[in-house]
Amino acid sequence: MMQRSLLSAVVVSMLALAGCGGDSADDSAKGPTASPGASASGKLTVWVDAARLPVAQAYAKEHANVKTDIVTFDGDGNGATTLQTKIQLWNRTGKGWPDVVFSEQVNDPVWMARKPFEFAAPLEDLIPKNLVSDWPEASTAQCTVDGKLYCVQDNVAPVVLWVNKKLMDQFGYAVPTTWQEWASLAQKVAKEHPGYIVGNVGDSYGHWIYFWGNQCPLEQLKDDRLLINSADEHCTRVASMLDPLIKNGTVPPLSVFTPDFAKKYGGANDKVLLMPGPSWYAQALFDQTLHIPAGQITAAPPLQWENESPTTTGQVGGGPWIISKHTANPTAAADFVVWATTVFNPSGADARPGLPAYAPLAAKWLQMQAENPYFAADPTPALKTSTSQIWQGWHLVTYPDQPVWSNTVVTQLVAGKDLSSLLKPLGDALAQAAQAAGYAVIRE
Amino acid sequence: MRSSESDEVSAPAATAAGARAVQVRGRRAPRTFPFVLPYLPFLFLFGIFPMIYAATLAFTNDTGAWAGFGNFERTFTDYRFVPALLHILLYTGVWLSLLLVLVVGLALLLHGRANRVSTTYRFLFYLPGALAGAASVLVWLFMLDPSVSPGSFLLRNVLGSHLFVESIAPGKLPFIFAMIAFWTGAGGWIVVMYGALNTIPHDLEEAARIDGAGPVTIALRLKLPLIRKWVAYMAILSFATGTQLFVEPQLVNQASLGLVPDTWSSNQLAYQMAFRYGDFNAAAAIAVDLLAIGLFAAVLVVTRTGLFRAED
Repeated sequence: MMQRSLLSAVVVSMLALAGCGGDSADDSAKGPTASPGASASGKLTVWVDAARLPVAQAYAKEHANVKTDIVTFDGDGNGATTLQTKIQLWNRTGKGWPDVVFSEQVNDPVWMARKPFEFAAPLEDLIPKNLVSDWPEASTAQCTVDGKLYCVQDNVAPVVLWVNKKLMDQFGYAVPTTWQEWASLAQKVAKEHPGYIVGNVGDSYGHWIYFWGNQCPLEQLKDDRLLINSADEHCTRVASMLDPLIKNGTVPPLSVFTPDFAKKYGGANDKVLLMPGPSWYAQALFDQTLHIPAGQITAAPPLQWENESPTTTGQVGGGPWIISKHTANPTAAADFVVWATTVFNPSGADARPGLPAYAPLAAKWLQMQAENPYFAADPTPALKTSTSQIWQGWHLVTYPDQPVWSNTVVTQLVAGKDLSSLLKPLGDALAQAAQAAGYAVIRE
Repeated sequence: MRSSESDEVSAPAATAAGARAVQVRGRRAPRTFPFVLPYLPFLFLFGIFPMIYAATLAFTNDTGAWAGFGNFERTFTDYRFVPALLHILLYTGVWLSLLLVLVVGLALLLHGRANRVSTTYRFLFYLPGALAGAASVLVWLFMLDPSVSPGSFLLRNVLGSHLFVESIAPGKLPFIFAMIAFWTGAGGWIVVMYGALNTIPHDLEEAARIDGAGPVTIALRLKLPLIRKWVAYMAILSFATGTQLFVEPQLVNQASLGLVPDTWSSNQLAYQMAFRYGDFNAAAAIAVDLLAIGLFAAVLVVTRTGLFRAED
């Protein structure tokens, strides 16, 4: 607690310094401006998902002079459109907007910055430049819409290969480094240890794990047009690799967050041998959901496609913090966001689930993970390298793509269809969603 | 099935009596007015006014200018419109048939029982309906998950689903939603039908029995025709509710983490149009579509069953 308040004092003084330095504040810019250095006070309404509730509560506790009203919502998870509907309503009634919002959906700032929503405030005048520069470039790029910064990401969420070291050692398998090795190991597992799995494909973000990382162009902006080409070789080759594994049961079409999955593969059963998945899986999935005991799990670097380099990986998360342009208390809103992203870093049950996006905090967090007894081996080298490997050819769009993947692919995989045969319907459905959202779509 | 009005016209001898009846009705109208009065503000506020508002929105664009059938055309060509409409039509078909056959059947069965038995059953039937709509859907989410459901045996053997995802497979959804809606809504209707059956004079039944009619004949040939209007009333209201399905698919959409599309039903599509795309005119057009379908069905049922004919 002591350390936390010390850190927050440091940040406040940093803000003060930034203010003194005359950080080019563009007076003509629209939107609220914070007065850096001024201590935050007054009322603040914050909307967060369940995973970000601890940070909001901790802020409220440590900042008694800010009357923080915390509202939890579904976080727009799995492609929900809660925030869109709420913001439409607030815009229509002309009141009710929260000051700060956290979204699980990395693409939310794209539509929040634009018409008809126009909810997000540009952060240039709210968060000091020297602080923002400590976010990885790829992260701020995802928060930049039409040349302006509209969010800061809470965490970066590259996909790595999660490994059950205990089981791998016990079975005498070597950790794969390429997708091909991974697939052939899966065939071996199906024969030698049926029932164990090397991944899963039933989550609403399954396409981000397998297709994003393997450079399948399902969301690629080419100037003002959107390329959606599910017939690209980068897509078809992944589908043909996965199909036999879905068939033999080593990559089930189940979501990891369903009771069915936990019952079959989690806890005492302990059937997860390998799993390509995002950086936040360690705590949120293996520990808290599947209850896999300590001393088993670790992370390996993202898988490479044959000998193609550089290795690229997918992304699941990178949830952004957004400040409302309607906020009456920009100082407190900015203070909250800065504190949440650069200071808050407890250990224990409230620990941050994912790799912080803000680099200095990431270093501290990784240090904590390196010493975390939950892991069988230090996962941090893999987490560190993967951060810079997220494929940049997958762009953020205004519509959620997760429901499209879930409705057109996952439900059909469950019904026993081939992934390869579903690529065309997926492309078609994504194109429809994109067109409905106003994009000019090109298919090849 | 002649109305009292046609009696008056066709029987000149009864003209005097008819005139008296009209007089009585004329005098009765202002007397009945106070009974209707408390309902009128609500009817206007929550029925007529929204309808006019929706119609205005549906025929104008976002600047308020006249748009003709533009919004209807636009929503009809939306790639989600036809699937959503087919979903709700299938759902309403399944649910309405379930409701008509089972509710009337159960009410008739109950009415034939000894009083104490039927009271207990009536209460049991009504019980699930006492849960608020959304809460009962949540209960069903558990019922449909084979890993936690008390009826997992049925799920596995009847529905063939070993996983929750399989229980809510796209092809099963209209039937699943019909089952949920039946379970939550049928109890109330059974009570209503039972009440309707109670209005049948006892001597009618007695006479039928003396004439040698068994319980089945009494139920089908005597009771059923006499409660026809109540059945028609149920059909109209349920048809409207059915085509406006929203809560069930919306909750299942969230619970399934998006496996079920958030535009499964037409009403959901209207909601998404309004609040996701900010296109209130398109949403209103879909709402007017639903209103038209509901009105059409109502007119059909009313004319076919003579629901509003005063005397039979």
